[in-house]
Amino acid sequence: MKFRGAEAIVETIEWNDQKVVSKTRNKRGYRHPVLEKKLVKERLRSESRIIERLISYGVNVPAIYSVDISNNCIIMEFIEGITLEKALRGNDFEKCLSKTAQLLSLIHSFNIVHGDPTTSNFMVNEDVYAIDFGLSTVSDDDEDRASDLRVFLESLDSHHSEISGRNIFLSHYSKWSSSAPVLESLKVLELRGRYNLMRG
Amino acid sequence: MSTKILGIESTAHTAGVGIITSEGNILSNQRSVYIPEEGEGIHPREAANHHSEELPKLVKKALEEANLSPIDISLVSYARGPGLGPCLRTGATAARAFAYSNEIPLLGVNHCVAHLEIGLLEGANDPVLLYLSGANTQVIAYAAGRYRVFGETIDIGIGNGLDKFAREAGMGFPGGPKLEKIAEGDELIDLPYSVKGMDLAFSGLMTAAKQKLDSGYSLGKLAYSVQETAFAMSCEVSERALAHTGKTELVLGGGVACNSRLREMAMTMANERGVKCFVPERALCVDNGVMIAWLGHQMMNADYQITEEDNIVNQRYRTDMVEVTWR
Repeated sequence: MKFRGAEAIVETIEWNDQKVVSKTRNKRGYRHPVLEKKLVKERLRSESRIIERLISYGVNVPAIYSVDISNNCIIMEFIEGITLEKALRGNDFEKCLSKTAQLLSLIHSFNIVHGDPTTSNFMVNEDVYAIDFGLSTVSDDDEDRASDLRVFLESLDSHHSEISGRNIFLSHYSKWSSSAPVLESLKVLELRGRYNLMRG
Repeated sequence: MSTKILGIESTAHTAGVGIITSEGNILSNQRSVYIPEEGEGIHPREAANHHSEELPKLVKKALEEANLSPIDISLVSYARGPGLGPCLRTGATAARAFAYSNEIPLLGVNHCVAHLEIGLLEGANDPVLLYLSGANTQVIAYAAGRYRVFGETIDIGIGNGLDKFAREAGMGFPGGPKLEKIAEGDELIDLPYSVKGMDLAFSGLMTAAKQKLDSGYSLGKLAYSVQETAFAMSCEVSERALAHTGKTELVLGGGVACNSRLREMAMTMANERGVKCFVPERALCVDNGVMIAWLGHQMMNADYQITEEDNIVNQRYRTDMVEVTWR
């Protein structure tokens, strides 16, 4: 498998006799070299640190095997399964959404915001895993968390318009004891983001 | 049979009248832009006054250039939103007056969707649109019956941001093109780079740029750095949308898409990614009546049934409110 993401080439390779995922941030020619270098370094560092932190808490994210700063490359665990985006087209979408909501609230409870939790950044097998922490940050700000929710709901709306997943997702997210201020923030954010008309 | 469609645009600064044939031949593209007082932003009522004076003249000029009389027009379409209320109402009134007095059908259309559809005229089939203008900054693509907004600004539009920074630096409207002209060097001044998923934010960037200007950085170098940073953010979110949707075409639209550096960056991104990049000519990137006419034609061509609601202006007429029946 080889996938050209928005900022990195992600491929499955053999590494020490096992199937792993390598994520290499390749150069973006359109960006100023100084900006490019800064962004790539920042994102590689924060991605590996944040994944390590979540692993230590036992959250469903791929384990990191190796970080190669000079080649902008992370070697990590290969998660068997399909993307949430595909999984949501099947019959299990309610279960998938509830597990994803639980996972995202768990991540938030450890003061991590994902930054790009679209439906293509979750893998589904018998469980749900979060992948691609390239835009993640350490934050306990409810507005940052709400921004995560908005990115997720937006990818849900724009890709899975036939499913009314919003309510299912939010009802499961709200089971987290600290979710109330996040959901409040989400309301404010959506008003500011000029989404008030679409969601009523 | 070839028909001719007249489109009226008046959502913001620009009063525009365009005439296009059903085959996509542009017969006229008349524009007149309201320029605010030096150091000021757009005043909606002043802009509307400008449009109400200009639109009848532009309609006349367009018909003359196309060598047509009003009865040759088979549809009048106008932008019913999103935009500034007084400006929208002026355009709607002009469209109504022309349509009713000549007994031509009238259709109000969505301004943002028109920006995308005119890109299809360039040859794209199913693109991601990077739509960068004063008030609008969106990444749009078609999915399941609608043009969906995959990413957008969560504070101000990119063009408004550029204009605001330029205005604070003592330059008049429109600030974006003026910044482009004075941008110099290749040294990047560090400014906030704000991408959240497929969304963007510009106000922090513009505030930081203003602060650096006040603390003595050169305006030319800052203009260069603001462009580099804001456009890289825009290219990144459109690349994210391309990756997410798996689409293989990119279309640029909106006034800021006239910027040469932005065009260059978008084309580099598209080349590196192996997707096609369509850049409409500048006169079709900025607000114009041709795109309004073309969208009206696309809709009617697919037997769109005009409802009463279609002829009511809507300041907050979002891209994703339009049910796309013509694809």
